[in-house]
Amino acid sequence: MLSEKSLKAIAFERSKYPPEESRSALLAALRIAQEEQGYLRDELIEYVAEILGLPAIQAFEVATFYTMYDLKPVGRHKLCVCGSVSCFLNGSDNIIRHLSKTLGISPGETTADGLFTLQEVECLGACKDAPMMQLGDRYYENLTPESLDALIAQLRGGSEDVR
Amino acid sequence: MLHIEIDGQQVEVAAGTTIMEAAESLGIYIPFFCYHPKLSVAANCRMCLVDVEKAPKPLPACATPVSDGMKIATASRKAKMAQQGVLEFLLINHPLDCPICDQGGECPLQDITMGFANPHSHYNEEKRVVEDKDIGPLIATEMTRCIQCTRCVRFGQEIGGIKELGATGRGEHMAIGTYVAKAVKSELSGNMIDLCPVGALTSKPFRYKARSWELKHTPGICPHCSTGCNTDVQSLGKEVLRVLPRNNEAVNEQWICDKGRYAYTGLNAPDRVTKPLLRDAQGKWTEVSWAEALDAALAGLEKVLARHGADKLAGLISGQSSNEELFLFQALLRGLGSPHVDHRLHQQDFRADAAMPLYPALNMSLEELEREPLIVLCHGFTRHQQPLTNHRLHKAVLNGGKVVSIDSMRQDFNFPVTQMVAEAGEDLALYQQLAGHLAHVHEEKQNDALVHLAQEMAAADNPLILIGSALLHHPQAADLLAQVESIAELAGGRIGWLADESNSAGAWLSGCVPQRAPGGHLLAEPGLPAGACWNADMQGFILFGVEPGVDSLAGAQAVQRLRDAEFVLSISQFGNEARQYADVILPMAAFAEGSGSYVNNEGRCQSFRAAVKLPGEARPGWKILRVLGDGLKLPDFQYNELSEVSAAWHHAVGDYGMDIPPFHAFPVLEAVQPIAAGELLRLGDWPIYQGDPLVRRARPLSTPLVARMHPDQARQSGIQGEAVEVSSASGKVTLALELDTHIPLGCIWIPLGYPETSGLAAPYLPCSVAMAALLPETQRAS
Repeated sequence: MLSEKSLKAIAFERSKYPPEESRSALLAALRIAQEEQGYLRDELIEYVAEILGLPAIQAFEVATFYTMYDLKPVGRHKLCVCGSVSCFLNGSDNIIRHLSKTLGISPGETTADGLFTLQEVECLGACKDAPMMQLGDRYYENLTPESLDALIAQLRGGSEDVR
Repeated sequence: MLHIEIDGQQVEVAAGTTIMEAAESLGIYIPFFCYHPKLSVAANCRMCLVDVEKAPKPLPACATPVSDGMKIATASRKAKMAQQGVLEFLLINHPLDCPICDQGGECPLQDITMGFANPHSHYNEEKRVVEDKDIGPLIATEMTRCIQCTRCVRFGQEIGGIKELGATGRGEHMAIGTYVAKAVKSELSGNMIDLCPVGALTSKPFRYKARSWELKHTPGICPHCSTGCNTDVQSLGKEVLRVLPRNNEAVNEQWICDKGRYAYTGLNAPDRVTKPLLRDAQGKWTEVSWAEALDAALAGLEKVLARHGADKLAGLISGQSSNEELFLFQALLRGLGSPHVDHRLHQQDFRADAAMPLYPALNMSLEELEREPLIVLCHGFTRHQQPLTNHRLHKAVLNGGKVVSIDSMRQDFNFPVTQMVAEAGEDLALYQQLAGHLAHVHEEKQNDALVHLAQEMAAADNPLILIGSALLHHPQAADLLAQVESIAELAGGRIGWLADESNSAGAWLSGCVPQRAPGGHLLAEPGLPAGACWNADMQGFILFGVEPGVDSLAGAQAVQRLRDAEFVLSISQFGNEARQYADVILPMAAFAEGSGSYVNNEGRCQSFRAAVKLPGEARPGWKILRVLGDGLKLPDFQYNELSEVSAAWHHAVGDYGMDIPPFHAFPVLEAVQPIAAGELLRLGDWPIYQGDPLVRRARPLSTPLVARMHPDQARQSGIQGEAVEVSSASGKVTLALELDTHIPLGCIWIPLGYPETSGLAAPYLPCSVAMAALLPETQRAS
C-alpha cells in the first residue's frame, strides 16, 4: 500500500522511540503516508496503524484531530485559513466568506477544477499578523480581500511560488 | 508524608496523592465527570477545578498531585466561578431533554448542575447535533448528550478490551464512536452504561421502562458463573427491570459482565412455566392445581420405587441451584434410597472422582490473582467462562505478570496471553509433553514454545496453574487432571480450580455428587454420575432446573433416555424441553425470585434474597423439595423457613477452608477410548450466552449459531460457501459456517447449548462435513 521508501521512512521514525511507545511515531507515519498518497483513505490509516501495531481507532483519532491530515482528496492548493480567536477578531470570517464566494466552494470543499481546497483551521501561531492563512509551506498574513484576489489570480495563472 | 489543607481542614497524605483523593479521604466532595478511580486520569471535563493558593489558575483536582503545604479551597469564589464556568460550557451543547432521558434521576450532570451551576446561561445559539451510533443490541446511544468525558473509551481500552471505540474529530466536532460502524463486542460492554455520566449510553433493554427512583433495589448474587458477582437487582412491581453491579472490591469491584446484566431479560420467555403441568395418558399437557400435581409427582415416584427400586431413580440438579436447594435435593434422593445424585451435566469423564477436592476452590482470593507473576490456564477460556475472574487475570498482566493458556483452540483473549494449542484431539499429548519437558528442564535446549514454558514454570517461584471449566468437559478429563497434578508438582506450583457453574462449589459441598455426602464425607456406596445415567437403565428421574438436552454433552442420548424412562419429574422454570419427556412439571422460582446462598469460586458463601414476587403459582425450589420430602414421609423435612434449611446446611457442611488440597490421591485410571485420529473432530463448548436456561432465553444476548473451521481445513474438506452440513454418528444438521484461523486443522467447532446442535455427537468425537446449498430459513433470519 506504501512504497518501499515510505515504509523505510516510517521505520526510521519508529526507531526513534522506545519499543513500547510506537504511538509516538504515529504523527510522522501518517504524514509520510499522506505525502506519498496525497490524502489518507480509511484503509491507508488502518494500514499505518497496523504497521505500528496500534488499534486502528487510535490512528483515526489522530488523523481526524489535526487539520493537516486530509481525509479526502484535496486540490492542488490547500488554503488553510485560521479561524481562531485573534484572526476571528481581525475578520477571518470575512476572509473565509470572500474566498468561498470567489472560489464558489464552502470550507472543506474543493473546486471542480481541482485547483483549490478551502479549509478553516485552528490557530497557526501567527496572531500578530492576523488574519492569516497557510498555503503549502508558507504563511500569508494581514490578509485582505484584495490581497487574496491577487493571490488567487497568480495561482490560477499557474504560479507555484507566490509572495 | 505531606501536610496539606483543604477547606481549612488539615490532612496528612502520601506523596503522589492527588487533590481529589486527599479530599475524598476528608469526606470533601469535589464534583467531577471524567474522573474515575478505576480508570486512567484524563482531566478533560474540568469539572473538578479547585482553587490552590499561589496557583494563578484553578487546577483540576483529579490530575494535580499535592505538594507539601498546599492550601486548597474547593468552594472559594474562584473555585465556584470555575465550576460555574465549566458547567455553562458543558451545557452549551447538552440537550435539555431530561424528561425523556433514561439517565434522568441518576445523572451526575443533572445533579451537579443542580448543585453547582449558575442558573443562567449566556448561550443563545444553536446546539450541535451528533449522529447516533448503532453499537449493538445492548447499549442505546444518544450521542448528542455526550460531554466527551471519554470514560467509555478509557474503559474499553483499559478494562474491557474494546479496541473499536474512540474519540474522533476536534473541538466542537469531537464525537465518541467507532471509526466505521461496528458493534461493540465485549462481554463487559454494559459497564460503559454505568460509567457514562450522562444519558449518551443507556441500556437498550431497559429503555423507557421506568424512572430510576421508582425502582426497588434488592442485593443479589449473579447466578451465571462461579465468580459470584454482587448485583443490585432493580425491580418495579413484579418485574425485574435491570441488574446492575453492586460494589464489592473483593469480588467484582464495580463491574459485572453482560451475561449477568442482561440475562434477566429471559425471565419472561414464552415457555416460562407459572402453573403446575401434568401430562395425561394421551400426552396432552394440562395446567393443574398444586395439590393435583404433587399427588401425581408422589404417585409417579412411588410407582418407580415400587416397580424398579430406588436404584433406578436418578436426580440431576443444576449447578446454579442454591446451597439450600442442593442440600434438600440430595437429602430427598438419598432419603428415597437412590444414590444417583449429581449436578455435573457438563462432564463426561468421571474416572478421577476419587481425586476431586472437597470443592473446586480457587485456593486464593480473587484479589490475590492480580499479583500472580505466572498463571497457566489449563483449558480455561476465562473471558467467556468467568468474565470478572478474567478481569483479575488481565490486571495480573497489567501488573507485569504473564498468562499462558493451554487449550484445544486459539482463544480470543482481551489481553496478551501466550497460547499453546493442541493439535486436533492431542490435548493429552500436549500436557504430557509439558510434563516431560518439566522433568528434563535442565537438559534440553530446543527452541520450542512448550520447552520455553517449561523453563519459565521451573524458574518461576510457585507458578499458579488454573484448571479451567473446559478441562472437565473433555472426554479424557481424568488423564488431563492427572497430568496437571504432575505438572504442578514438577514445576513446584500451586493448583487452583475455576469452578464451572455459579454454585459448583456449593454443589460439591452440599453432597450433590454421587460419591460424597454433605461436607465431602465419602459414601460407601457411590451412585452413578450424571453422564452415566443416560446409559444405565434408569426408570425415574427428578430434574431440578436443568435441560439435559442442551445442558449435557450427549444431548440427544439424554433426551432419549428421559423419554424412555417411566416417570420424569421436572422442577423447572421453563417448559420447552421438559414438555418433550416429563410427566409432571412443577414451576419453580427463577433468578431474582428466590432466596438462598451460593458458594463462589473462592469459597465465599454469599446469600441473596428474592427481589420480586413469584410469577403465577411458581414456588421457591426449596419449598417444592420440602413438600416432596414431606409427602414421601422422609424424616428431617419439616422446615418452615429458609433460615432453618440454611442452618441445617451449615451444620451438615461444617467449616470448610478457602485454601484446600487441590486433589486427593488419584485412583488408577482405566484407559478410555483414545480420541479417533485421522477424522474431522468436532470441538465445542458452551458459548458465553448459551450456558444456562435463563441466559439462553435472553433475547438481547442471543448470538447466531455458527460452525467454525480453519479456512485451510474448509478447502481441504471441499467446503465452499456460507453453510455446511455436519453429520455424526448420532445425527446431522446444517449450520452457517464461519472461517476462523483460531480453529486447529482437522477440527470443526460447533457450539453446545443450542437445541439445533444437541443431536450431534459430543465434542472430540468424529464427524464429517459436506457442502450445504442453503441454510434453513430459521437460521438465516438471525
